[in-house]
Amino acid sequence: MARFHAAAGFPGTGVEGNASKSYKSGVCYAGCLDTLAVSPEPGRWLVVLNRLGVADIKQVVRQGRVLIYNENAREQIMIHRLGPRKPGGKLLPTCRAGVLIACAVGCWLADDVSLSAGTVDFAHDVVPLLKKHCVECHGGRESKGGFSFNTRELVMGSEVISADQTNESRMIELVLSEDPEAQMPPRDRPRLAAAEVQLLRAWIDQGLAWEPGFSFAPQHYEPPLLPRRPELPPAIDGRDHPVDRIVDHYLALHKVPRPAPVNDGQFMRRLYLDLIGLPPSTDALIAFVADSSYDKREALVERVLKMREPYATHWLSFWNDLLRNDYSGPGFIDAGRKQITSWLYESLLHNMPYDQFVRELISTSPRSEGFIRGIKWRGNVNASQKRDIQFSQNITQVFLGINMKCASCHDSFIDRWTLEETYSLAAVYATEDLELHRCDKPLGRMAAAAWIFPELGEIDPSAPQSERLEQLAVLMIHPDNGRLQRTIVNRLWHRLMGHGIVHPIDTMHTPPWSADLLDFLGVHLTENNYDLKRVIHLIVTSSAYQSESQRLDQQPGVNEYLYGGPLARRMTAEQFLDTLWSITGTWPEPDKLAFMADSRQQGGQLKEILLLLRPGAFDPDADKLSADGTAQKLSRPEVYERWRVRWRDRPVRAAFRPLDPFQASLGRPSRDQVVSSRPSQVTTLEAIALSNDPYLAELFVRGAANVLDLHHGPSEALIERIFLAALSRQPTPVEKDLAVDLIGPEPSTQAVEDLLWSIVMLPEFQWIR
Amino acid sequence: MHNDPQYDTECSRRDEMERRKFLKKMALASSASLMMSEPRRLFASTNNEQNTPPAATADSCILLWMGGGMAAPDTFDPKRYLPFEKGLAVEKILSTFPAIDTVVDNIKLTAGLENIARIMDRATLVRSHVQPDLGHILHSRHQYHWHTGYVPPQTVAAPHIGAWMSKVLGPNNPVIPPFINIGQQIEGNGESEELKAFTTAGFFGSEFGPFNLSRPMEAARAVRPPEGMQTDRFNRRYRFYKKLLGESPQSEFASEFQQQSMLRSIDNAHRLLGSKDKQAFDLTLEPKKSFEAYNTGHFGQGCLLARRLVEAGARFIEVTTEYVPFLHWDTHENGHTTAARMKQTIDRPVAQLILDLERLGRLDRTLVVLASEFSRDMIIEGVPGSTAKDQSRANVDQLQEIRHYGLHRHFTGGTSVLFFGGGMQRGRLYGETAPERPCVATVNPLTITDLHATIFTAMGISPQTAFEVERRPFYATPDGVGKPVMELFA
Repeated sequence: MARFHAAAGFPGTGVEGNASKSYKSGVCYAGCLDTLAVSPEPGRWLVVLNRLGVADIKQVVRQGRVLIYNENAREQIMIHRLGPRKPGGKLLPTCRAGVLIACAVGCWLADDVSLSAGTVDFAHDVVPLLKKHCVECHGGRESKGGFSFNTRELVMGSEVISADQTNESRMIELVLSEDPEAQMPPRDRPRLAAAEVQLLRAWIDQGLAWEPGFSFAPQHYEPPLLPRRPELPPAIDGRDHPVDRIVDHYLALHKVPRPAPVNDGQFMRRLYLDLIGLPPSTDALIAFVADSSYDKREALVERVLKMREPYATHWLSFWNDLLRNDYSGPGFIDAGRKQITSWLYESLLHNMPYDQFVRELISTSPRSEGFIRGIKWRGNVNASQKRDIQFSQNITQVFLGINMKCASCHDSFIDRWTLEETYSLAAVYATEDLELHRCDKPLGRMAAAAWIFPELGEIDPSAPQSERLEQLAVLMIHPDNGRLQRTIVNRLWHRLMGHGIVHPIDTMHTPPWSADLLDFLGVHLTENNYDLKRVIHLIVTSSAYQSESQRLDQQPGVNEYLYGGPLARRMTAEQFLDTLWSITGTWPEPDKLAFMADSRQQGGQLKEILLLLRPGAFDPDADKLSADGTAQKLSRPEVYERWRVRWRDRPVRAAFRPLDPFQASLGRPSRDQVVSSRPSQVTTLEAIALSNDPYLAELFVRGAANVLDLHHGPSEALIERIFLAALSRQPTPVEKDLAVDLIGPEPSTQAVEDLLWSIVMLPEFQWIR
Repeated sequence: MHNDPQYDTECSRRDEMERRKFLKKMALASSASLMMSEPRRLFASTNNEQNTPPAATADSCILLWMGGGMAAPDTFDPKRYLPFEKGLAVEKILSTFPAIDTVVDNIKLTAGLENIARIMDRATLVRSHVQPDLGHILHSRHQYHWHTGYVPPQTVAAPHIGAWMSKVLGPNNPVIPPFINIGQQIEGNGESEELKAFTTAGFFGSEFGPFNLSRPMEAARAVRPPEGMQTDRFNRRYRFYKKLLGESPQSEFASEFQQQSMLRSIDNAHRLLGSKDKQAFDLTLEPKKSFEAYNTGHFGQGCLLARRLVEAGARFIEVTTEYVPFLHWDTHENGHTTAARMKQTIDRPVAQLILDLERLGRLDRTLVVLASEFSRDMIIEGVPGSTAKDQSRANVDQLQEIRHYGLHRHFTGGTSVLFFGGGMQRGRLYGETAPERPCVATVNPLTITDLHATIFTAMGISPQTAFEVERRPFYATPDGVGKPVMELFA
């Protein structure tokens, strides 16, 4: 017989009674309460041991749960009611004292629970308790009486707590003290409930477990919200590009040598891969290198930025990752997810101004609503993964570089965001009352729609959803919201230069290595009508972009990065495949699903894109007339064939393809979460795939044949063409000799295959530098 | 080369010297452990288990996965048996197979598992594994939970338990990938996207992800040169590549950490593809008699492959009966007939695997786990009182035809798990389910969290092991609270 009593800390409870639990017989008795009674019904109750964490018993009862605290084991037992209420099985508002809650058969332990639990959880148990009672005076910037809870070291070093000596612990003494002068919290504040004292004791007993790195001290760095136009430092050595004026000044200040400039071929390859995801053609490369005009690089940048389709296709992957958009994937199974492919491609094609882009993603049309709708997962889902909360997490991460994932369960440990703020933002989207949940437990408070930077304006929580979203969109793109501008220009800098000005890029609460650079780019965006291409233009026309990449023999630590030039960036799965397909002429055929979505609305992306490029290209629903004049529907193969013909010889680029194992092995993510960067390392499994994957091997076979088909002349010329196409440079004499040795004067397909493979496996091919 | 005179200045060469000095200094200053993009291992500030891993009782782990929900009453947890009879009320049915004796007095199994019955003295049988009520029962969600320890969806990509072993322990033999996944065809599966969501190393990155061998007979191909390429050509190609690499005008970047890692990976790959160890993947090299002892189809071949790979030094191997919606263990109808077939598929190879590992002296240090995402029941969907949608396709009150006979609903209240070797007890029965419906776990309910804690502990990984991802801690068992069942250890 275990002895249970209701947790004394909760209003309306506190009467003790006997209870027993016996799992052997399939019968469980578990405690009693005086404020409510429950008529047991076989199989209708579920006993769950859980950690402390529900604040208000009234709320618990309203939720159909009863909370009981087991004194002996420092466990809490929560009883969930399962299924709809039935007569005789309901919670009664009044009670018979001492009635045992009994579960006849059917008593069962849920999973998130451990019978032997009792270990105090610092993050979920202790922090909320200390925040509630203590840290207002003994934490953050306050340390009344010279005592602060900020770090474990501070607590351990004080005389208030001594681990291993609970009984003598001064803290427990103060907490229990009846002396109005000595007691803690002070007498004008609520005392700790018995359960909370227990928790505190247990925490001390268990050695003051602490989350590594956690501190109650405020974050030292609070980034500015307002946009700022920095004063540009004077140009050094006549390098008067605004980016260079800032960067050169930084380099001089930190005594970092200025990186050497890259040559034309390197610049062109870098620019093409960065802006359109493909290497330059050999002819374009030769012409560019031969061009002697002084402004040819700027002219090239302008030309490349005008390549609408390749540009849109390349950046589609960037945005698909960020906006969690894919053509198939988890969630579609239940119509719990919606593509925004058509809207997104069109936005990129027409270079939609970024403020309008953001506005349409928040205050949506049917074509753009897939992003904020998130993914509806089937079944019961953790409170922090409900669609409303996904909304909160996703818009803050993508547009503001804020990690709200922490604050979706509890006040964030790593920055200033709170649970309340996460839920208030979620309530902008929610169409039903949204109750705050801390670590999946209801708190009994409803969230009111609000925006996280009230200094820019407010949202009317009583307005209907569409108006709230419009208000939010307007606040998000508010000209004074420098955070929006800084976040996107930082992402672009990261993409083009290999490292964020603020890094990691999703944590904008980190000091930038150059605030001037970040702020200048942000202002440049707004002053150019939110034109992202103008920001890209500004970056790539700088000498900073056009300089040699910095070589790091070790990955720099979190606060160790010093800018010293761009970092080499690994090709994405899409860049790798597109480059390989283009240099070997092995573009894939469009797949059927890409033209004809399935019943789950997966696929159809090429159809949408084609209809944007050629409006009214084809209407598959239009009937065709058969010979006798009666209308007949086209068969599926006929529909596909017509789409394919209209697609013509447009390349089916990797960005258009559904995720396959090969792209996945090269780091393309499954887009059920927002992803802002790709893995930078080549793994062993990937290297195996690169060495023997049947699909890739077959590409090399076909590719070699294609290359040979187009070639007439000596092997040297063939080798030169391959080098130019793949690496945007001529082979060195040594390389040429080696290659001639390999393929001989009359090259076979196999020899060319092996040459192609070897070049493609060079770091020089797979890294953009 | 396209040297552009405009940029080739005296100044830049001087800068280059400075740059190298600077880089050298910076390399010294930077710490190898503080990676920007890689998850960082966390250590607790207090001196507890998180910092000191438990002593491992196993070096390798084989998970035999009964994908689709294996009905405990028709396999490892026999209840009252009623044979098929027209007009029989379905609510009376608990087991559709009679119980059989095993070599352990107090353990009975169901008919069709005679081979496993003979080796139960090497097993720990847990009958009280329980899963949470996730609302709507969906195999892929429960499989995700079972394989990662986390209930989907998560805000970050949770790693498979094999990836935890791969990340924390690394390979036993450096040429054999530490996490091998056998038997699951992912592409073309009706729930392929859902399968991909947990068949992954998640935030650890694909270096620690599964080496997928969907068809055991074709496994050798995965570690051979591409089709049609002879070994000597394959080696020649690699030699040429190394020479080309050595002559690269970009060799100044050779020491760059990312490039180093890429070259290391390519070397690793070629070491495997060129090593003798790769023969472990080739089932055609197995003596015919031994091959036939296992050969009940893909699963049996997978067990054989697992044995060969453990011998070669694999760390974690999953072999699945393969989850395909409504196939194999996913018996929404015709449960009895299907269970009989599935038992035929697993009985012989599982027993043979254990006996072979024992004979090879490897059973002591190889933990074999046989598990499923949940059990099945004739009547109850989920657990008693659950509001989960009924998904039976043989929804009748009385049996009319054999198709109706079997356990067609998803039951999460009491599931069987088998352990062999790896430091677990032998001939041990743990936990119990109620003798009558609902057959819920009544003794020693064991959650996924604690089951994982037990497996991790056997492998020498603390259930509190944590990594920092997106600046938050992420634990081997959720919140680090998993408690191993120490009484299962020998």
